[in-house]
Amino acid sequence: MITYLEAIREAQAQALSTDPRVYIYGQDVGEFGGAFKATKNLAQEFPGRVIDAPISEDAIIGSAVGAAIEGMRPIVEMQFADFSTVGFNQIVNQAATLYWRTEVPCPIVVRLPSGGTAGSGPFHSQSMETLYAHYPGLVVMTPATVEDAYSMLLEAVAIDDPVIFCEHKYLYYHLKAEALPSEALPTGKARIARTGRDATIVTYSAMVHESLACAAELKSEGWEIEVIDLRSIKPLDTDTVLASVARTGRLLAVGESWPWGGVTAEVVARVASEGFDLLDAPPMRLNAKDTPVPFHPNLWGTHRPTARTISAAMRNLLRL
Amino acid sequence: MPRIPIIMPQLGESIAEATIVTLPFKVGDPVESDQDVIEVETNKATMGVTTPCKGIVAEWLVELQQSYPVGATLGYLEVEAEEAQRLGLDVTPSHSAHPPHENNGGVPHSTPETKNAPRSVEPTVRGLPVPAHASGASYMSPRMKARMAELGIHAADMAGIAGSGAAGRVTIDDFEKFLSALDEHKLSPASSMRVAVADAMRRSWTRPLATVGMPVNIDKLLTHRRASTVKPGPALYALRALAMALGETSAPAGRLVGDKIVHPRAIDVGFAVEAEDGVLVPVLRNVDKTPLAELVDRYNELVELARQRRLPPSATGGSIATVTNFGTFGLEWATPIPLPEQTLVLGMGAGRVVPNWDKEQKQFVPVTEAQFTLSFDHRVLDGGAAGRLLSRIAALLEKPEVL
Repeated sequence: MITYLEAIREAQAQALSTDPRVYIYGQDVGEFGGAFKATKNLAQEFPGRVIDAPISEDAIIGSAVGAAIEGMRPIVEMQFADFSTVGFNQIVNQAATLYWRTEVPCPIVVRLPSGGTAGSGPFHSQSMETLYAHYPGLVVMTPATVEDAYSMLLEAVAIDDPVIFCEHKYLYYHLKAEALPSEALPTGKARIARTGRDATIVTYSAMVHESLACAAELKSEGWEIEVIDLRSIKPLDTDTVLASVARTGRLLAVGESWPWGGVTAEVVARVASEGFDLLDAPPMRLNAKDTPVPFHPNLWGTHRPTARTISAAMRNLLRL
Repeated sequence: MPRIPIIMPQLGESIAEATIVTLPFKVGDPVESDQDVIEVETNKATMGVTTPCKGIVAEWLVELQQSYPVGATLGYLEVEAEEAQRLGLDVTPSHSAHPPHENNGGVPHSTPETKNAPRSVEPTVRGLPVPAHASGASYMSPRMKARMAELGIHAADMAGIAGSGAAGRVTIDDFEKFLSALDEHKLSPASSMRVAVADAMRRSWTRPLATVGMPVNIDKLLTHRRASTVKPGPALYALRALAMALGETSAPAGRLVGDKIVHPRAIDVGFAVEAEDGVLVPVLRNVDKTPLAELVDRYNELVELARQRRLPPSATGGSIATVTNFGTFGLEWATPIPLPEQTLVLGMGAGRVVPNWDKEQKQFVPVTEAQFTLSFDHRVLDGGAAGRLLSRIAALLEKPEVL
């Protein structure tokens, strides 16, 4: 068995071994093996290519952009997605615009350990995908499975655009697969995680699993819920979403990030404007509460969407 | 244990409230899931309000013989936490409107808040939020509308579907099931004439239409016709009489658009001619200014052209009222529907010899009588105005020499 976190480590090992331009840069990624051990033993296996950085996200990303200009393909680890805001300027003003200003590509990968876990609080739980997806020039990946964590990270390294790789901390240790995949869907293509006929849930990352649990629960009540895993939120696979809504007529978009704007709003807006005639009920969405992420595990449990709250929202939608 | 509300359910289309008839369970009584715990009466039927899950009656907020609106909280159940969770109702309800009775050491009395509470209608169905625009059986989703447009189906065609959605709306699933059920019947295409008539009648029927009627002695009319060399048809007499009456005052033929009456520019009157699988309405122009005898040739010509369905554009459209002679089918009475762009349709029934009391001779004498009807858009005129117009037409028909 291999975990989601191990898959991320294996993908980096694979990238390092097949492409000499790849190196890893981040705080404690070297000797220590990363805050979450996502680079465990890689410094020993690939001497000189897994480099500890000072505590400056600004400098880490800025230097990675410079290395990319010189032909390297750096993988940058932020200890927590929350801290990427310190390097925000380098990501959105430098990396995202470089190709469009100069025709010089910027093939960097910024790994963001994202999302909430019990007791992590406001500075170690954030989901940042909405912010980065807003900027043209960035690819934003949000893998929900062990297989995608592996194959999408390898693809992220191969892509010439800067990639924000939102890996979910909640999935690091619990999510397991039999083996690493030998093939994968291309980036920008959503996956139908469960087929159904009564309603569509469009989601990504850890919320895929909460949504699948909701679908299993509602199955016992006679409903067949289709679950779409977006995989990457930018590009966003509108075609697969619209095709699903065409089958079901009902849409619930679910995201762990905050409700103001964001991925769920984007999905609802696209379906409402491009697929209005497919809707048999108002398109709906469910997000975390519009407050900072709380510390206390019980509060955190009510802050983010869960299978239970998704099911309640879905029952409302199904009864309209 | 969490408390969950018992809500006045949607009891049927167009039911806004219901009266509490019996309340067999006391506070503290255990109840099962889907058990009738309140009997309520609407203006249509007596029904039960059922529990959403099993639990214990925690509180009643209602009184017998009082009415409460759909969506009102009627009481609370104490239920197991997982039941509340399953229903998505495990958030503690704000319940400040009903504080515990702790004063006056005895009989609880209803506070003003409790009295007022049932009067505020919450926009919910069984406690679930419903978008304001989805609150009735008439709501059609964008998908329903698109599918109907694709198939050329109108709302009126779906009157027979009982909707399963919120407040009885027809969902796309209901609609698709309805369509598949149609395939079990013999289906034949409706002619374009049939579809056109259907479209006109459906549009017209969106208005409040009413009909008045009265018998008219047509002996003089028949005598006049026999003596005439050109032999006008009976409907042409009626058409000319209608035109003359409208020539005196055209307001009853006006159309209501917003807050304005749109008056006719000319007294052009149509008449119904049955053609294969439908009705055509050729038009005679300026009928108020043209004597009956001069209308006959054109009338006969238009009847023939209509039957061949070869009416020229100059002879269709733009009329302000229509005459229909349903007497040709042996009918004595009918309530025809005016064309959608018109306010009036004058109908005439079959002539019939009936005994009529003659005051001078002090005996019944036989007269030929036909029933005349005037169907009208009640927004534009009332029964009185319609009656006066019809009486004027009757008076003119009884003096055919003036037509």
